[in-house]
Amino acid sequence: MRKAPYIALAVVGCAALTLVAVLGAFANPNTLSSVRALGEFILYNTFNVFNKHWWAGSPEAVTAVLWDYRGLDTVFETTVLYAAVAGCVVLGYTSLLKRGGERNEAGGGLTVVVKAATKILFALILITSVNVALHGYITPGGGFAGGSTFAIAPLLVIAAYSTEKVVRMGFRFLSSAVVRSAGLLALALVVLSPLIYYGFVLQNQLKPNSGFPGYPAFLGSLFLGGSLLYLNFAEFLVVGMEFVLVFLAFHFMDKLMGGEGSG
Amino acid sequence: MVNVSYVIYVASFITLACTAAVGVYGVLAKRNIIKKIIALTIVGDTANTFAILLGFRVSANVMPPVLPSLNPSKELLTRFAGAAVDPVPQALVITAIVINLAITAFLLFLAVRIYSLYGTLDYGKVIRVRRGELDGEG
Repeated sequence: MRKAPYIALAVVGCAALTLVAVLGAFANPNTLSSVRALGEFILYNTFNVFNKHWWAGSPEAVTAVLWDYRGLDTVFETTVLYAAVAGCVVLGYTSLLKRGGERNEAGGGLTVVVKAATKILFALILITSVNVALHGYITPGGGFAGGSTFAIAPLLVIAAYSTEKVVRMGFRFLSSAVVRSAGLLALALVVLSPLIYYGFVLQNQLKPNSGFPGYPAFLGSLFLGGSLLYLNFAEFLVVGMEFVLVFLAFHFMDKLMGGEGSG
Repeated sequence: MVNVSYVIYVASFITLACTAAVGVYGVLAKRNIIKKIIALTIVGDTANTFAILLGFRVSANVMPPVLPSLNPSKELLTRFAGAAVDPVPQALVITAIVINLAITAFLLFLAVRIYSLYGTLDYGKVIRVRRGELDGEG
């Protein structure tokens, strides 16, 4: 039984974790029905129209944390994502060069039924993903969720048709990389432009000791949500295109090594 | 009288711990690299769910962290701050999921490279090929 020590280690470690968590949760009878002070502060102030001192201009507290209160975390997590995808893209692009281009592939694909269903689903997924990304500041969703949803659409086409079909639709390796970089530039622009007005990096609404008046939260009666809308859309482009790049890179690498499946 | 919400809450902790145990066991004991990566994603998703569970509020009138009105009254704001779940863990998890996916993709790329170089995904065999005891296929 060479595996017995591993099983024992896993069981003991996770049992200890549960014990600590449960004891911590029940140490004080009020702990379970309350959240931490930081969470309560954010919930109270995120759309506090009476005292806009600390407000984020977004009724969606999660997006407010993501791009306003803890915005710097998200910027650096975007950097981690960029670094991880850059590794995959380099490997995939060298495979693509060895294959000699994106267009020399015989497209077989799956049956007519699957192809017809894919056509309908493709449009639906694109509309849903844009909707999730653009409404991220009033409903659950945002750039990360929308981008991940978007990336499913080309993956579906790769599975049902072929990579050549995806390339013919415009999801080329280099153009995807260009759109990804454009999204990153837009992100940097929104993050840094308050500095021109002697404001803060990542500033969203008007804050004390800042010359920047804040991104507009309302345009007449239309709710805009400050910088969250632009940041969500830029992140949507970045995440969506990075996943498209990963899928394309993976597919080219698979083909180069003699993998024969079409997905 | 035992509160049913508390029982469900503790049961969720225990379920997550069991799932994490399966994942940790897989990472440690499985010899196939793909199975190790699958186990790693199980551990990651369990950690994310655990973070969200810690921000949950066990009470009868719990709300999602989205303010239901664009023209709120002070009474609604106070009620919202006293009833909604913690938004901070959810915001951290939404980025962690995407990062997890990117890291998994990168690990899979490395696995593909290992397979093309050594002709196997069993890391024990990879070590033996490197020592020259077995012939690699790649």
